[in-house]
Amino acid sequence: SASELEEKYGTSINKGLSSSRAAEILARDGPNSLTPPKATPEIVKFLKQMVGGFSILLWIGAVFSWISFGIQFAQGSRPQNDTNLKNSKTLIFVILPSPQQALVIRDAEKKELPAEQLVVGDIVEIKGGDRIPADIRLISAQGCKVDNSSLTGESEPQSRSCDFTHENPLETKNIAFYSTTCVEGTATGIVINTGDRTVIGRIASLASGVGNEKTPIAIEIEHFVYLVAGVAISIGVLFFIISVSMRYKILDSIIFLIGIIVANVPEGLLATVTVSLSLTAKRMAKKNCLVKNLEAVETLGSTSIICSDKTGTLTQNRMTVAHLWFDNQIYSADTSEDQTTQPFDQSSPSWTALSKIVTLCNRAEFRPGQENLPIMKRVVVGDASETALLKFAEVILGDVMSIRAQNKKVAEIPFNSTNKFQLSIHETDDPNDKRFLLVMKGAPERILERCSTIMINGKEEPLDSEKAEAFQTAYMELGGMGERVLGFCHLYLPENEFPDTYPFDTDSMNFPTSNLCFVGLLSMIDPPRSTVPDAVSKCRSAGIKVIMVTGDHPITAKAIAKSVGIISATSETVEDIAKRLNIPVEQVNRREATAAVVNGMELKDMSLQQLDDILCNHSEIVFARTSPQQKLIIVEGCQRQGAVVAVTGDGVNDSPALKKADIGIAMGIAGSDAAKNAADMVLLDDNFASIVTGVEEGRLIFDNLKKTIAYTLTKNIAELCPFLIYIIASIPMPIGTITILFIDLGTDIIPSVALAYEKAESDIMNRRPRNKKKDRLVNEQLAVYSYLQIGIIQSVGAFVTYFTVYAEQGFLPSTLLGVRVDWENNAINDFEDSYGQEWTKYQRMYLQWTGYTAFFVSITIQQVADLIIRKTRRNSIFQQGLFRNKVIWVGIFSQIGIALILSYVLMAYWFVAVPFAILIWVYDEVRKLFIRRYPGSWWDKNMYY
Amino acid sequence: MTKEAKKPFRQSVAEWRQFVYNPDSGEFLGRTAKSWGLILLFYLVFYGFLAALFTFTMWVMLQTLSSDIPKYRDRISSPGLMISPKPDTALEFYFNKSDANSYAQYISTLKKFLETYDDSKQSENINCTPGKVFDQNDVADKKACRFNLSELGQCSGKEDKTFGYSKGTPCVLVKMNRIIGLKPEGEPYIQCTSKEQDMVEINYFPPGGSIDLMYFPYYGKSLHAHYLQPLVAVQLAINSNSTNEEIAIECKILGSPNLKNEDDRDKFLGRIAFKVQMTE
Repeated sequence: SASELEEKYGTSINKGLSSSRAAEILARDGPNSLTPPKATPEIVKFLKQMVGGFSILLWIGAVFSWISFGIQFAQGSRPQNDTNLKNSKTLIFVILPSPQQALVIRDAEKKELPAEQLVVGDIVEIKGGDRIPADIRLISAQGCKVDNSSLTGESEPQSRSCDFTHENPLETKNIAFYSTTCVEGTATGIVINTGDRTVIGRIASLASGVGNEKTPIAIEIEHFVYLVAGVAISIGVLFFIISVSMRYKILDSIIFLIGIIVANVPEGLLATVTVSLSLTAKRMAKKNCLVKNLEAVETLGSTSIICSDKTGTLTQNRMTVAHLWFDNQIYSADTSEDQTTQPFDQSSPSWTALSKIVTLCNRAEFRPGQENLPIMKRVVVGDASETALLKFAEVILGDVMSIRAQNKKVAEIPFNSTNKFQLSIHETDDPNDKRFLLVMKGAPERILERCSTIMINGKEEPLDSEKAEAFQTAYMELGGMGERVLGFCHLYLPENEFPDTYPFDTDSMNFPTSNLCFVGLLSMIDPPRSTVPDAVSKCRSAGIKVIMVTGDHPITAKAIAKSVGIISATSETVEDIAKRLNIPVEQVNRREATAAVVNGMELKDMSLQQLDDILCNHSEIVFARTSPQQKLIIVEGCQRQGAVVAVTGDGVNDSPALKKADIGIAMGIAGSDAAKNAADMVLLDDNFASIVTGVEEGRLIFDNLKKTIAYTLTKNIAELCPFLIYIIASIPMPIGTITILFIDLGTDIIPSVALAYEKAESDIMNRRPRNKKKDRLVNEQLAVYSYLQIGIIQSVGAFVTYFTVYAEQGFLPSTLLGVRVDWENNAINDFEDSYGQEWTKYQRMYLQWTGYTAFFVSITIQQVADLIIRKTRRNSIFQQGLFRNKVIWVGIFSQIGIALILSYVLMAYWFVAVPFAILIWVYDEVRKLFIRRYPGSWWDKNMYY
Repeated sequence: MTKEAKKPFRQSVAEWRQFVYNPDSGEFLGRTAKSWGLILLFYLVFYGFLAALFTFTMWVMLQTLSSDIPKYRDRISSPGLMISPKPDTALEFYFNKSDANSYAQYISTLKKFLETYDDSKQSENINCTPGKVFDQNDVADKKACRFNLSELGQCSGKEDKTFGYSKGTPCVLVKMNRIIGLKPEGEPYIQCTSKEQDMVEINYFPPGGSIDLMYFPYYGKSLHAHYLQPLVAVQLAINSNSTNEEIAIECKILGSPNLKNEDDRDKFLGRIAFKVQMTE
């Protein structure tokens, strides 16, 4: 009782806390606000970037070069550049909560205080439109309704009173929760929890307690780094041993080691990956998917299960009239977002009567000044059902307000929970008809009780048991679709008994409220968004399982699931089968049921094993009446199956699941700040269909990253081979470290980003999501094909250019073998070439640099061919269209342009490698042809990456 | 990744063994013998084809080249200077006047170098007109000009078999790098200077260190087989009180406008610097 509460919280209901006491508690409990999650300091992030991934290889290289530089200061060391370009500064989504005020009684006075200063024991007053400032135990309430959708996901406002109705604090009626909204009515209550101790606060801390999983793309990149590092280090060490055993000096061997590492590390790649991801993120933002965490772009593409919230995501989050029943027949209404007309048969006089009741027995009104807006978008004052009815009437009949004005209201009994009906009495708009019209709506069974006749085709007929049966059938059918059903009836009051001046008194009810004429039923539902069924079926064909997780009732959830295709038309739940076969539920073979509707209460008693069983054996699952913790359990269950799970949600209650999911998707419009914070991605239009676009983009970026990496890895061999041959055959150095960096960070950057713009090769939405364990970003085939085939062709082409340069300047290939020591000797300044000419050291070096440039130029030329072949992995370039991706051409021209700027070399040397570039193209076309012609063959298995 | 790290060591060893050789499927390193065979065959064919292609393109490229003169000579527009004997490491001469072993290396190098200049080897060479470029562009059989060893005077090794090393007057031969088609202008000559002028007296053979134009141009190894490049001997008469001192000497080619000798980056283009230290 109230006095116990006063005692428990040390407060007085009338006077409130004293300011000093409040200050004490405030000091003890801290301010009434949620503590934001800890952010990693920028410097730590920076350091992580500095040493992460490939950078560590370059650091090792740097340390080695400093060591060798130290040892041989006089001789100088090979230039060694460190690159650390990885930049994953994510798009930061800033949410500033607006400062909130609360009306508090303190020192026996009403005061406006910032909500943060509320303490336990404060008496607060709330009214319609307010946000609840803390967890509050109500002590008095007048028609108070709160919108708990951010907490529980329930779309309808819940009424609140002072009565204790349930043990579970979430279910009981006398507690209002922090951050929910009071929709209507007023209430007074005692603050019982503040800040992080509120229910919301606990959920939020649950969310921050959930660890962040590594994104699939991060795992792939890591795998790739290991692979490249493995190759780099093993080749490096192998050649270190070779060079030592070939009697090279240790110091030289270390320098070779560094060279090999530098040649092997794709310095520009991480930058390219980041840029590609950013570009996709930008493209997705245009399609209303705002990506907060760059890596999430790809995660969406590998998603195999989407756990979707119902309200607001799958549905429009507003009640709409879905079905009508009159003249013994059910009619469906249009429930799409932008209805302008209603297609059902409106010729029956029964409809005229029904529409009149719908129009008149309704207190909802449009806010003024919205005449130019479409009806569906106008703001209405009134509860959800009345709003639905008002809009429904407005669409069909036109100006509802003027109809109401013509049928002046003379008396009214508003809806209350004991009557369960709403009644009003009107004058009619027919000037010859002096009768009053009594209209009534309410719970169908209550309305029927009060009726003795029923209107069929405009005529009143007695309500016999047959007709009552028909009513029951229709009522059950509509109710079974998860819809909220209302009954409508009317009565023309006889003119002689109720003359013009009759004083209607709503308290004494001096007018008939029984023996009325039943007119019809209307049922309402929060209808699915029109784009959702299509999106769900797209997910299906893309191999993604869509699971509905909602706080709503199982029946409603199932109905919506059926209408959007989450439960397909042909599949049945265990209960459905039991009903069809007329056998107990226990006897049904569970394997036969493809669909399942799981209630939160059932879920509570389930073991993890049982949950896994359900997730495994049913392809279509709906979880209803779930709590935030259960959402988390469901997500974890899905992840145990090895699935990549996307979770959509808007409420605070969803935030732990959003955080736990591989990718959390929050709603941009309806979403709470907590949900947006926990999510990796925000759907700006709250539309489930946008997720499908996101999935498509995610899959595309995965494919394109594969292409980018294949492109980038290829030339590493052409950069590496010179070192190996230099060591083994002792020829003059074919390419320098700086030149390698020119390629990696100069000519190759724009082309590899350009591959991110490549269109999909085939319909990527018709294949299954990739298997996390098997379908790697960089697989064996990709590495082998890039390194051992195309890479080797490139190296051969580049070496032909190299030998051409030396031969044309006087050193025939035969004279180059084994000359390294003399060639690099500073004291030999009369080095004889094949024609008897003598060269100074500097002249030889100058020639060597020309060689570098020519080598560089031929790699560039062959990379152009490499870029073109990487546009597709399976289709012919001509199927894909050579000119469809314009950015590729920007890439090619930039590549050649940068090479022209960086190098000065005879034009002829540009063309030496052209035959090899053509060979690369032709060979790859042949490869793709065989892959397409002989799927599943040895060739396909070994050559398709 | 962390999960894998937690695997017991024995298990991962077993997995490795399984990977190296899997007795159930007969897989060796993840492939069956047949699969390995196919892969190796493929790469044999692939690399065989590439090797053939490489050889072919190289052959085509070499066909475009002349065996007489290189296609481009733009990288060596001006000749470098070099000396003989050339000490192994840096250009520094260290010897003891009275210890024959300390300069034996230099003497044998010089002797070997001058062997090709021996009269008996120059029987096919002709006497050319001094002071004039010997142009033989139209002649198929290109003749080499005779270079008389006697022009090197005391450094010819005829009178003094130790090339002056035993007397404290060591000889160093300066030569200009051969470059096909090079025709020096003016009257080129070698001049050597030392910063420590009073320590050493420098004599040139032929007198004035001149290089005769008749030895130019050079037509390349195959056309101009007996060609001998002109030499200038530099005799360093080291002052008796400058023994044990390190003497830096720089030789330059002068008197010819088209022979560069002051390139910033190439320290051997038309010049050479070396050091001499003589002990007793």
